[in-house]
Parts: sequence; structure tokens; C-alpha cells
Amino acid sequence: MTTAQTQPPPTASPPPSAPEPPAGIQGAAWKWGVGLLMCYVIYGAFFIARNAVGFVGDSARIIFFHVPCAVLSSIAYFVAAAYAGLYLFSSHPEKRFNLELDAKSAAAMELGFLFCILATITGSLFAGMQWGTFWNWDPREISIVGMLLLYAAYLVLRSAGGEQPDKRARLTTVYILITLIPTVFLVWVVPRIQALQSLHPTSVLANPKNTSAAYKEVLYPSFLAFILLFVWLFQLRFRLYKLGAKDRSR
Amino acid sequence: MGRVADTAGAGPVSAQAGVVTSSRPAWLSEAAALFAKDLRAEMRTKVAISAIGVFTLSALLLLGLATAALKEAQIPIPDTDLTRPAWDPAGKMALLWVLLCFAAFTGLAHSFVHEEETGTSLALRLSMPAGAVYAGKLAFNLALIFAVALVATPLYMLITGMPLGPPLVFLLVMIGGCTGLAGAATIVAALAAKARGTGALYSALGLPILFVFLALLLNAAKTVYAGPQPALDVVKAVGGLFSYGILLITVSALTFGFIWED
Amino acid sequence: MPARQAGKTSASGPGRWYNSDKVQREDHNEASVAWEGVGHRFGARSVFSDVCAQVEAGQVCVVTGPNGSGKSTLLRITAGLLQPSAGAARISVNGQPLDAVARRPHLGYVAPDLTLYRELTGAENLQFFARLRGMTLSRDDLIARLSAVGLRGRGRDLVSAYSSGMRQRLKYAFALLDQPSILLLDEPTANLDVDGAAMVEQVIAAQRRRAGGGVTIIATNEPREVEWGELRIRLEPGR
Repeated sequence: MTTAQTQPPPTASPPPSAPEPPAGIQGAAWKWGVGLLMCYVIYGAFFIARNAVGFVGDSARIIFFHVPCAVLSSIAYFVAAAYAGLYLFSSHPEKRFNLELDAKSAAAMELGFLFCILATITGSLFAGMQWGTFWNWDPREISIVGMLLLYAAYLVLRSAGGEQPDKRARLTTVYILITLIPTVFLVWVVPRIQALQSLHPTSVLANPKNTSAAYKEVLYPSFLAFILLFVWLFQLRFRLYKLGAKDRSR
Repeated sequence: MGRVADTAGAGPVSAQAGVVTSSRPAWLSEAAALFAKDLRAEMRTKVAISAIGVFTLSALLLLGLATAALKEAQIPIPDTDLTRPAWDPAGKMALLWVLLCFAAFTGLAHSFVHEEETGTSLALRLSMPAGAVYAGKLAFNLALIFAVALVATPLYMLITGMPLGPPLVFLLVMIGGCTGLAGAATIVAALAAKARGTGALYSALGLPILFVFLALLLNAAKTVYAGPQPALDVVKAVGGLFSYGILLITVSALTFGFIWED
Repeated sequence: MPARQAGKTSASGPGRWYNSDKVQREDHNEASVAWEGVGHRFGARSVFSDVCAQVEAGQVCVVTGPNGSGKSTLLRITAGLLQPSAGAARISVNGQPLDAVARRPHLGYVAPDLTLYRELTGAENLQFFARLRGMTLSRDDLIARLSAVGLRGRGRDLVSAYSSGMRQRLKYAFALLDQPSILLLDEPTANLDVDGAAMVEQVIAAQRRRAGGGVTIIATNEPREVEWGELRIRLEPGR
């Protein structure tokens, strides 16, 4: 759902050489707001939260960055899948096969790829500090690699199908829906496979009683910060697409 | 007077000479016709079979050579004087599945890629609905992968000494695995063929889907050779395999039309 | 024999699983084609725009235009193989509108980019496509159809061994399998010799005389072929 851009009415003076700065979710207020929130999170990660019990050195602080990124990379995929489903199956004639929906799902996939890379890197750093090796094949690591492969494959398909936008849109949206099956299995089934040992301290974090108040002070804002970051980047990316589309149709 | 339509009902003979209509559901007979055509063409040209066959046989030979020493290796069981084979049966089955995955992705693309490259997909689009095309191609790929698995698995067991384990579970895992492989390979082939991609695109698209499936296969492999265990664990493992394949095939069937049509 | 309500328009989409809404294919179906503001673009490039015409039963329409003006594209849109960027190509049979998928059993389509299976024989190709349309061809029927397009005695040869002219003839046998009420011919006499061209003329004449009136749409640049149609449309490039 795009937010309405409120442009000031054209004045009598000659047309402005630069476009008006956008209001709404791409606007400067948002940019500064997310930036400040993120600064708080970074500060809090190092100065407000104390060292956690059972973790090597300061390594637990990575939770504030690693976990939101990992969670968001999965959410991004489902956002993309929702737009893809709308593109193909919407009963609304305006929305169905509307290339803007495809652009939105592509934007979500690109951002998901970004967050997935970040999650993999931070996770690997953490594993290196905590357990000595930078990679073990535990289920959550398998999951994140699986998502990484998926995003990469999507981007490869997007560049390969490139000549005509509607053909590319059809192929990529279908691919997103088909890969719903592996994703659902990655997110919910693979971590539960008994046969694979888990090194991940996930169950510890999920229980709110286990984290001190100081941690909560940083953890919840960090989730909020990353979510807002995602939304803001998403809107920016979509706006870029719309500018490009205007340019192409001229 | 015109010809009686081919909807459900007793099979009528038309007034037109030499034309008989069928009474099965239309898409099933269309898919069967496509399957028969693909089979006939494959018997004549042997493109897919030779590609898979050469790959599988050479992979098996190479595997046999490379793992000859590994087969004999033993590692000690802690706290006892006994040893166990370093390469356990679950590991052997895992490698078999890797081999079958590669074989599938070598040979199962041919059915769609050939149609796109020669341009015969246009004639098909004019003659049959998309769903029937998918059903026919899937049937062909299923037949192909089952045939390969039927030949490769006994050979593999001979070469590596992989035991059978409980026969029913083994059979179910093989069937579930092949079904999932065929489902994945078919839809990815359709996508890659339409995107006019090379084999690289085909592999790139299939990798995420296969990656998850392989994790499930590994789990199932462990279950086959885990000895006596609660039946629920077996059901979960085998069920996971089948559900993945069936879900994948269902979603593919629902979305295939969008790939196939321009 | 009641023909059921024809398929829905755009909402049904290309993902349909089976041919549920078939209008019975009969000898005396009356068909018509209407182009309502049809335009198409590939990416940013506009091929043609705002084509408006109506072709009634028993008529022959010829579409001409320089290379790249979109004649083949217009035919593909009419066949339901391509969704136009603007407007619609509507086909109705016996007064019932047919959507892009439902119209295909009523079409005979011949074009340069149509290819039949090279690894099968001519007869096997016809048998296969006949089976897809719910028909089984007897041996006599096959021989008759092959002879009608001038391929008598060549049914047992692989299509890979056919000359380009023979392949074109086989395409006509393919298109005419089910006595279509609408014939779409893109470059009808491509690769054909004098006899072949005569065959095409006969096919078009037979289509005109068809009970109920068959529609023929030809895309061509040959001046002789332009004479075959009473309706003429000229496509200008880039408009």
C-alpha cells in the first residue's frame, strides 16, 4: 500500500529544477527518526546492556543486531510472497497483473537478501567467538543459508528474465510462490529436526523472564529500529522503481 | 449433425467417419497423450536417457573408486573395545541422494527445454490446456527418475555396501524422495526454459528447493537405519518427504499456467 | 445440444486446469472476430495501436504492413496466445464470447514460428494432435488428410527429413485437424511451390463456404495474397 505523496501545488514561478522532498514515509522526518533510533540501539548495545551469563566475553551483544536481521529476512520473504500472490491471483482487476505489485515484491526480496547477508555474517562472527568455529551445520545456520540461496536464486532469475517486464514479473512471482514450500520448511521444520543437534541458544531468548530489564530496554527498540528501517528502505526502493517507470514510459 | 462432445458419459461414435471420442476426463487423456508422445520421442532420440545414464554410471564408478578405502575404515566406539564403520549407512544413503539429485537435474530438464528451444511449445499451447501439459511432463519426469533410481540404487548398494534396512521404510523413502525430486526438477525446468536460461540458471533456481529437500532426505536416511524406534518418528520422517513433494507439486500445478502462457 | 456458457473474461486467467467451458465444435459454428482498439507494445516500443475492425462469418480479412509492423503479433493476440497491452481481440462462436484459452479449439493457426515435432513422423504428429483434441484418426482418415495437403506417401517419414515446403504443408494438416471455424494464416504461402499456393487458395475457399461461414485472417505482404481477402487492414509501424 503506497502512502500518498503530498506535493505542494505548483506556484506561478517556473518549474523547480529539483523535485520537492517527499513527505510521507520516505520523508526526512522518517530518515532522521530511524537514524536516531538506530544510534540509541548501538549505544545501548554497548553501554546499557551488561554482559550476559554464559556467553564468551561481550559476544552476547550481537543479539541486538543478529536476531532482528534474521527475523526480518524471513518476514521480508513472506511480504514478497504476499505481493506475488496479489499480483497473480487478486480478484481486483486493477491490482491483478499490476507491475507495481511485482516491483514491491522485488523490493522486499532485495531487502530480504540484504538482511539475510547481515544475519549470516553476524551469526558467523558470534559462532566464531562463542564456539571457536565460524560455521557449524546446526539447523538455524542451515535455515539462514537456505534463505540466502533462495534470495540469490530469485535475483538471478530476475536478471535472466529481463527483456519484458511482464514476462519477468510472471516468472519471478511464480518462483516466489513455489519457494514458499522450502521456506516454510526452513523456518518451521528444519529447526525442529531432532536428528540435528542445536547449538543455538534460542530457547533462552524466547522466555522473557531470562532477560534482564536492561536487555529488554535495548532489545525491543532494536527490533523496532530494524523493522522501521526495513519499511523505510522498502518505500525508498519502490519510489525508485516508480521514477524509473515514469522515465521508461516517456 | 455435429460430433458429440467428449464430456463424461458413455463413449459415443460420431457421425463423422473414423473419428471416435473418449469418455475419460479431458485433461487426463491429454496428459496421457503427451506422456506417450514424450516417451516415443525419447525412445527414438534417447537424449535424456543417455545424459542421465552416462552421468549416473560414471558417478557410480568414480564413487566406488574414491570410497574404496573409506568403506573399510573403522572408528572406535567410546567406552568400549568395539569399532564401528566410519561411513555409516545413513551417510551412504545421503551420498546416494546427492547422486540422484544431480542425475535428476541433469536429465529432467530436457522435456521442457526441448519444447521451448524447438518452438513446439506453441503447437502445444494451441492444442491443450496448461494443466494437462504440466501433468504430462510431470508424469514423464517421474517415470524417468524412477527408472534411474531403480537401476542406480542396487548398483550403489553393491558398490558401497549400503544395507537395505527395513524394506518398507526404505521403499517409502525412495518413492518419496524420487517424487520430490521429479516435482522440483519439473517446475524449475519449466521456469528456466521460459526464461531462456542456460543450464546455469536451471541449477541456480533448483538449488534452494533441493537444499531443503536434501535436509529432509538426510533426516529420513537417519530414520531408515536407526534401528528400532517409535513408529511416530518414522512417520514424521517419511511424511515430511512426501508432504514436501506433494505440496511442491500442488503449488506448481496451480501456478504453472502463469509460466506456460505468455 | 446446448452449448454451455462460455468462459469468464479476464478473471479466469491462464492458470485454468481443464477445458471446462467448451463450445461444441461443430461443422456449422458461426464465428466472428472483433478487434476493439487493439494495441501492443514490447517494453517501451509500441508495435501498433488502435486497430479496430470486425470480421464476420464467411469473410476473409488480409492484414498487411511493412516488416516489424506487428502483423504476426496481431495474429497471436487474436489466437489468444498473447495478451494485448491495450484493447481486446474478441472472438465469439455462435454468439458466445470466448476467452483466450477457450477459443483455441476453434482456431486453425499457421505461422512461421509454429513448429511440429521433428523427431516424430508426419503421421505421428497428426495422430498426437488429434488425440489432444479428442479425436482418433483411422488409417484412412490419416491418408486422406495427408493427401489433401499434398503429403501423400510421406506420412511415415520423420519431420526432420521434410523439406521446408513439406513442413508448411504439414502445418496446414495440423491447423485443419478439427475443422476450425476461424483460420489464422501468417504468411500462408511461405516455402510453398505453385501447387502449394493453389492448395492454400482451396483451403481459404473451403473455409468461406463452410456451413455457418468460416472466418479467415491472413497476414501477408504478397500482393497476390492480398487479393484473396475483401477486408484489408494495413498496419503502420510505430503508430
